[in-house]
Amino acid sequence: MLQRLIRLLRGNERSSKTAKSRLKLILVQDRLGINEDMMKELQVEITEVLSRHFTLGEQVEIDLQREEQAMALVASIPITGMKDREQ
Amino acid sequence: MGKIIVTTSGKGGVGKSTSVANIGTALAMLGKTVVVVDADVGLRNLDIIMGLESRVVYTSMNVIDGECELEKALVTDRRVDNLKLLAASQRNNKTDIQPDQMKEICLQLSETHDFVLVDSPAGIEQGFENASSAANAALIVTTPEVSAVRDADRIIGLLQAKDITDLQLIINRLNPELVKRGDMLNQFDVLDILSINLVGIVPEDTEIVGASNRGLPLIYDGTSGAAGAYRRIARRIDGQDVPIPEFKAGNWLGNLVGKLLGTN
Repeated sequence: MLQRLIRLLRGNERSSKTAKSRLKLILVQDRLGINEDMMKELQVEITEVLSRHFTLGEQVEIDLQREEQAMALVASIPITGMKDREQ
Repeated sequence: MGKIIVTTSGKGGVGKSTSVANIGTALAMLGKTVVVVDADVGLRNLDIIMGLESRVVYTSMNVIDGECELEKALVTDRRVDNLKLLAASQRNNKTDIQPDQMKEICLQLSETHDFVLVDSPAGIEQGFENASSAANAALIVTTPEVSAVRDADRIIGLLQAKDITDLQLIINRLNPELVKRGDMLNQFDVLDILSINLVGIVPEDTEIVGASNRGLPLIYDGTSGAAGAYRRIARRIDGQDVPIPEFKAGNWLGNLVGKLLGTN
């Protein structure tokens, strides 16, 4: 009863939704055999390539997401400007 | 040639042996000749769930060691003549049996029986390798919980790597009340994640414990949710087209009527 009240007050938070999104993320990593170190390495390399052409912001984020049947590598990379092309 | 079906899950305690006992019995009650094979060497359970522990004389280990003919090692069920059990040795380890030896046993059994149901131990090690060595189909048992679904996903990957393509999912211990409240993954969530064919949903059922206590699979005379679910699963495995009902959280009146009519 109390739990229901708390749930009501907190806006009916559904643990099954959390379970599903957590599982999806875990399984992408399980299936691809990707660990955190690899993700960090990827981030460094992607940043390296892009910074040859752009000046980048600090909040670079890359993540694996599952979209329908496929996995997607989603990157959020703020670009603050172009590198000088003359060089 | 009969069908060799391995029942597996990765995670322990999700109801593999209970599922094998009930589905095996249900298939036999449909008139099929069935052997259930306990592949959990060292931790055998199927004999006790089926109430056949006092009848076990020989095990698959004795057959492999040439101490007894395969036919002689089979234990006949107490109630259904066309249902047999091949027990696992309790005194050996999983590594005492090789996949080839298990495969040979299952292939031989499939020559004289319609269905060979192999109960795999939990895990992805040699016990699983042995249990799946001859399989041409697999039943994957999971519960709607994160850890069980994750392990099921791993097992599905391993089975697919073995070119076992006939994969059927059983969602066990679904609690309609929890699903309704949003506190349990529902069948669509699980299917969305695992992307394999669903062969049945077994609702959580308190009668299961009593059935194991008595050594009489629920399927014999049970009218509760799990018994009906296992009967339908057996018919689907037998190739019949049986729709999967929706498990709804009932109110007390609906539950009472259902119980009286034996429909829930």
